[in-house]
Amino acid sequence: MNIPRILLPLLVVAALFSGYLLRAAFTQPTTTVSMGSAGGKTVECIVDGLKCKGTAAFFTKLYTGVPGIATIETFATEHKAVFSYDPQVITTDRIKSIMEAPLPMRDGSSRQVFTCRTIQD
Amino acid sequence: MKTRYLRYSLMSILLAGVVYLALGFGTRRFEDFCPFGGMESLWGLWRQGEFSCTLGPLNLALLIGILVLALVAKKAFCGWACPIGFLSELGMRLTGLVWHKRPAVPAHTDRWLRLLRYAVFALALYFTYKTGELILRGYDPFFLIFSGFGHGSIGLVSWIVLIATVIGVLLVPMFFCRYLCPLGATFDPFSRLGFIKVVRNDNHCTQCGACQLACPQDLAPFKMNKIRHRDCTNCLECVDACPEKDVLQLKATL
Ligand code: SF4
Ligand code: SF4
Repeated sequence: MNIPRILLPLLVVAALFSGYLLRAAFTQPTTTVSMGSAGGKTVECIVDGLKCKGTAAFFTKLYTGVPGIATIETFATEHKAVFSYDPQVITTDRIKSIMEAPLPMRDGSSRQVFTCRTIQD
Repeated sequence: MKTRYLRYSLMSILLAGVVYLALGFGTRRFEDFCPFGGMESLWGLWRQGEFSCTLGPLNLALLIGILVLALVAKKAFCGWACPIGFLSELGMRLTGLVWHKRPAVPAHTDRWLRLLRYAVFALALYFTYKTGELILRGYDPFFLIFSGFGHGSIGLVSWIVLIATVIGVLLVPMFFCRYLCPLGATFDPFSRLGFIKVVRNDNHCTQCGACQLACPQDLAPFKMNKIRHRDCTNCLECVDACPEKDVLQLKATL
């Protein structure tokens, strides 16, 4: 059976696109931490600087003891963090400002480690 | 329209996407889109149930996507999408402008050299699995070029490997794809089965050899009735080059 040549690029694009969609099937959280507060809403952030197990653990620690945060799931390979939080207690702006606050470095200086690229309810 | 324009358009878009990510735009790293990363992640997934190093689900998912593609349309990924394949082909065309009659690699040597990529494949996976590090980064032109010799490159050795590869690409058409690419080695068994392929009508073929001259992989379509060769990327350069009407056609056939 003859095949029109336009089918080849279409198949290539379809394969790449299906691969892109299929990634969700293999995505596992890098860390999942429960903070004890009651949830209510979730917010998803794409975070620059969240890129491996170490940075994910460090990122999660920033929220230790912060009231209103119920759970944090990080996905290092997706550079993503998902917060479950109580909107009566904490706002998304506050969640963002915590991660973007400059952090003290070993040499005494301070530096912003994480940048929230997008934040979505 | 010549198929090449269609191919180059798609490849330019994908290459532009990689450059965009490599420059730090977008939310992902360009490496997330390397399908060979999917192979490199298999051991970690099997042993620890998680992706090692900076590999992730997208690497694995894209690998699966293009292996399925190879079962359908052979190495169409190489001929229609791969940025390194694209750059190699541009290098080939560039040198072709000044070097009209380049000497061919003797067939026997070429056959042996084509096996080199299996050694690269085996070594890359062995050392990645053994160390848990992406060892290939230091030797991989895709990583070295687009990361600007980022973390994982190994100084002078990386430079030597990259320069040698570029010289190879300029001297021998598709040098990296033919002899060194571990992703190409991954596709090989799947590519042989791909049922969309170029088919030759023996009755009207004049054996002029124009198809082999046009083939970036230096295959000889005029010696085969169906192009089952594992290195065929379905680029269709041979189909466009054939002076006889409908002698070479793209078909779905076993
Ligand atoms: S270019 Fe066409 S006619 Fe010439 S050898 Fe190849 S298939 Fe035959
Ligand atoms: S045989 Fe034809 S389709 Fe296959 S790689 Fe060579 S030129 Fe491209």
